[in-house]
Amino acid sequence: MPLISLNNLSKIYPLGNQQIVAVQELDLRIEAGEFAVLAGPSGSGKTTVLNIVGALDTPSTGRVRVDGCDYREMKPKALADFRLRRIGFIFQSYNLIPVLTAAENAEFTLMLQGVAPKARRAKISALFAELGIAGLEERRPNDLSGGQQQRVAIARAIAPEPAVILADEPTANLDSHTAEDLLQLMRRLNREKGTTFLFSSHDPLVIAHAERVISLRDGRLENDIRQEIG
Amino acid sequence: MLLRLASRNLWRNRRRTLLTLSAMVVSLALLTLSLGVFSGMLVDILSSTTEQYHGHLVINAQGYLDDRDMYLNFPSDPELLKRLQQDGEVIGSSERLRGFGLVSHKDRSYPAELLGIRPEMEKTVTKLHSQLIAGTFPSDADPNGAVLGSGLAKKLSVSPGDELVFVTQAADGSIGNDLLIVRAIFSTGHSGHDNSLILVPKAWLQQLMALEGKIHEIALAVRDPLRAAEDAQRLTSQLNDGLKATDWGELLPEMREAIASFDVSRFIFVVILYFATGLGILNTVFMSVMERTREFGILMALGMRPLQIRLIVLLECLLLGLLGTALGLVVGLLLSSYMALVGIDLSGWITPVTYAGGTIQPRLRAIFEQRNFIDPAYMLLLVSLLAGFLPARRAARLQPVAALRED
Amino acid sequence: METLLLAWRNVWRNRRRTLITILAMSFSLMLIQAFHNLSFGVYAQMVDSGVRSGSGHIAVYRGDYALSRDDRLLWVMDEMGVMGVMGNLQTRITALDGVKAVLPRIYLPALAQSSRESRGILLTGIDPIAENGINPLLKQIDAPALIKSLDGRDALVGSRLLSELKLKVGNKFVVTAQGPEGQLVSELLRIRGLVKSGIREVDGSLVMVGRQRAALMTGQSEAIHELAVILENPDLEEKLLPLIGAMLPADSGLNAVSWELAMANLANAIKLDYASQKFIFLIIVLIVTIGVVNTLLMSVMERIREFGVILAVGASPARLRATVMTEALLLGAVSMLFGNLLGALATWYLVEIGIDLRDFIPETMEFGGVVFDPVMRAAWDINYMLQMSAYVLLLSVIASLYPAAKAARIAPAVAMRHH
Ligand SMILES: Nc1ncnc2c1ncn2[C@@H]1O[C@H](COP(=O)(O)OP(=O)(O)OP(=O)(O)O)[C@@H](O)[C@H]1O
Ligand SMILES: [Mg+2]
Repeated sequence: MPLISLNNLSKIYPLGNQQIVAVQELDLRIEAGEFAVLAGPSGSGKTTVLNIVGALDTPSTGRVRVDGCDYREMKPKALADFRLRRIGFIFQSYNLIPVLTAAENAEFTLMLQGVAPKARRAKISALFAELGIAGLEERRPNDLSGGQQQRVAIARAIAPEPAVILADEPTANLDSHTAEDLLQLMRRLNREKGTTFLFSSHDPLVIAHAERVISLRDGRLENDIRQEIG
Repeated sequence: MLLRLASRNLWRNRRRTLLTLSAMVVSLALLTLSLGVFSGMLVDILSSTTEQYHGHLVINAQGYLDDRDMYLNFPSDPELLKRLQQDGEVIGSSERLRGFGLVSHKDRSYPAELLGIRPEMEKTVTKLHSQLIAGTFPSDADPNGAVLGSGLAKKLSVSPGDELVFVTQAADGSIGNDLLIVRAIFSTGHSGHDNSLILVPKAWLQQLMALEGKIHEIALAVRDPLRAAEDAQRLTSQLNDGLKATDWGELLPEMREAIASFDVSRFIFVVILYFATGLGILNTVFMSVMERTREFGILMALGMRPLQIRLIVLLECLLLGLLGTALGLVVGLLLSSYMALVGIDLSGWITPVTYAGGTIQPRLRAIFEQRNFIDPAYMLLLVSLLAGFLPARRAARLQPVAALRED
Repeated sequence: METLLLAWRNVWRNRRRTLITILAMSFSLMLIQAFHNLSFGVYAQMVDSGVRSGSGHIAVYRGDYALSRDDRLLWVMDEMGVMGVMGNLQTRITALDGVKAVLPRIYLPALAQSSRESRGILLTGIDPIAENGINPLLKQIDAPALIKSLDGRDALVGSRLLSELKLKVGNKFVVTAQGPEGQLVSELLRIRGLVKSGIREVDGSLVMVGRQRAALMTGQSEAIHELAVILENPDLEEKLLPLIGAMLPADSGLNAVSWELAMANLANAIKLDYASQKFIFLIIVLIVTIGVVNTLLMSVMERIREFGVILAVGASPARLRATVMTEALLLGAVSMLFGNLLGALATWYLVEIGIDLRDFIPETMEFGGVVFDPVMRAAWDINYMLQMSAYVLLLSVIASLYPAAKAARIAPAVAMRHH
């Protein structure tokens, strides 16, 4: 069974007396361990799909199953818990809580899960080392570069060992060099830990690194290409 | 970590938090100060009739207080007095005989109320001996020394050492008159007492009124004047038939009501002030919630439940409230101590004012009463939480997708 | 005009914050107006009942009687050279515009004796016809129980005094006071009715008779202590006091004093009460001002970047300052309008319906020597309401000083990098 399966998914936003169709009759399957990107021009529905997969938003019609759970059958509290344990998020910017230190930000999801402080600390130190940001634990987000901030966000996303990490344009605010580093890093995590990644991006760099490129246009699936990368 | 998150969020906009905090401190501190001063006035009012005249409670023959009938007297009883003095709550007692008549000096005559007392005993109940403006308080050995109010002394134009003649109706129907020597003059600010009260030796008055060995009342001072009603009830049950203990509240029902109505006005006062303060807190918390919309979106995406989000906001309000309350109490205590130790003299501005049968002295003086601090403090905490309720609900109801779209 | 329009739009940028601030300001304005008007009404009522039973709005005394209450300061209207050319002082004062009544009174400290008891009293001699319908002490007394003549032996006695003397209506009792040469003079009086005022001092020591009956004890049947002048309306006092004062012959030792002086107790009670109320107002104003400063400051801080842009395109710092102050003024103006509306509504309610405190305080609560009516009613004090409205505007401008200074100090380069 695929990790993520979308069946005949549509999302329609009412806007005044108009209706904006953000996603239209989308069918999509993503297996565990994939490293996929949703590509497409601005307004094509990438963020909408990610939000729906991440249980932040509900589809107008159609069905979403992630990691064996059907969102339609779940209450808000169960959905929040599902997000907490099975899904990791990385955003484009303003990703971290400014009043918490880097380490506290990364620990945050573990804290919500009720992991004991000591165990949290240990896990986060190891992750920070792995992500190349060791020593920055006590810095506030404002005192970190964009790339460092995104690494902390990645640490936060993978710390609870989720089934899938959803990243909405994670490189949009970064220079290409930093973006390249980050993508290498995520690719490595994908390979070593088998974490599934689903990106949204129109950054060619991201697309070049993806095993699978799912192109959207006007909310419809345009292309679904698997590519070999080195 | 939630606590840390809340406390750091509080200081994110330092200027705003400090301003809100200062409003809270101002309201709580000035509130406790003014309640302390009002309590001080009430204590003045109460003591103007208890410590300057009645005592906190009096023991009389049944019915005496209705019309102060001179025949409703009872024998002076050393046993009873001893028993009363041994009661844990009673801190002073004084036997008294009361007489009404005309007092004259040279060609001046005025009506007066005489209290026959033993000076040393009276000192344990009333404070007239500490409010003298001339002369010295007589000793128990003085056979005919009198202490009279300043207004009366002025009208009679007497000073210590002068002679007075007192004329009254005696119990045997005869008209008695005898000489007194002015020993001291007191001034209480209560015009009723200053214009008509004279303290005289008990034995002297008993003889003049043909009531040897008799008294009209035993005035008592108790440890806690506000509990005098309970003491009166307890003492009455221990007294002989025909005798009854009456507390000041029953003697002066309007004063009791005035003191009771202080609780109502205190409540109204607190509510009004905190309404304005609460709106300020509401505004601050709302602003800080609205500014952080995107952040709440991220928290939700990370799997935080709406209830937890609400908790964070409420926690922030609670912290703000605790801080404001603590600081407000400290400032309030400082201001109140100043007003308790130094106070403000108003005698250049107003004269004493009568209220509910008592007298408000022309001064501002705070007293410490626990309730004046505890009630407003609790209420301020409550108001901070209440003010956080709407913003917290608002934050918890954010749609994650919409919140994430903000920036 | 354009500035105003722009400011107006800026004020409403954060609608919730603006609304909460306006609510706080206008609510406070309403509270202050309503409470003031309530006190204004209650004080007016207290003064009215106080002056009618007491000294009048204006009293004529000999010497320092107002302060000393020295009963030797008697005087006789006709003897004071007031008669002659222009007639009796009482008639002449009565003829003044705005004077409702002129009441001659005599007050003698005396001893009342029944067959069993004696008590100190204040024997008060009045003109029964003139006092009737004016003096609130006589209000509850039925017509047949009223005293009628100036020199009759009928007396009205305080209710508590009556029971202390163990007397009933219809009984006789003896009053003893000091005569003209210091000798004691006694009179036999008959109790015609009782006075129940709720004021301890009055109920326990008042004996009221026709003024000539009391004056006879001093040896002069026309002697009085006080001429109490009741006015149609208390505001006339200022105008009439000098007029009445001018009628008094310079060598007579007579002087006219206002009720504030003659009834210091009442005047001071009101002063004290109003002062404590003002203190509460002050706290409210302080809190609300802090709130307004907060709101304005936040709206400046939020727009630092925007202000930077405005400065960058060439606006002067003074212009930014003016912008912030205009916004504050608008905030104040809206609050003032809304607050006045609420204040007027609240006052209207308090005037028409009032606050019934009968469940909280006894019906005979005394304050400053007069009975405090437990049904409190407000009265309109339009001047005060306008004054407070002006204060609200002033306050919002004062509150804007710091935020405006802050806006004017913004450095464009720094501001543009903000966020
Ligand atoms: N809350 C909303 N209300 C109305 N329309 C919306 C809403 N959210 C998204 N849309 C519309 O849905 C469509 C898809 O939006 P979406 O954000 O998914 O696009 P995107 O592919 O992520 O674009 P971009 O690359 O610019 O981020 C757009 O036309 C957008 O205007
Ligand atoms: Mg997008």
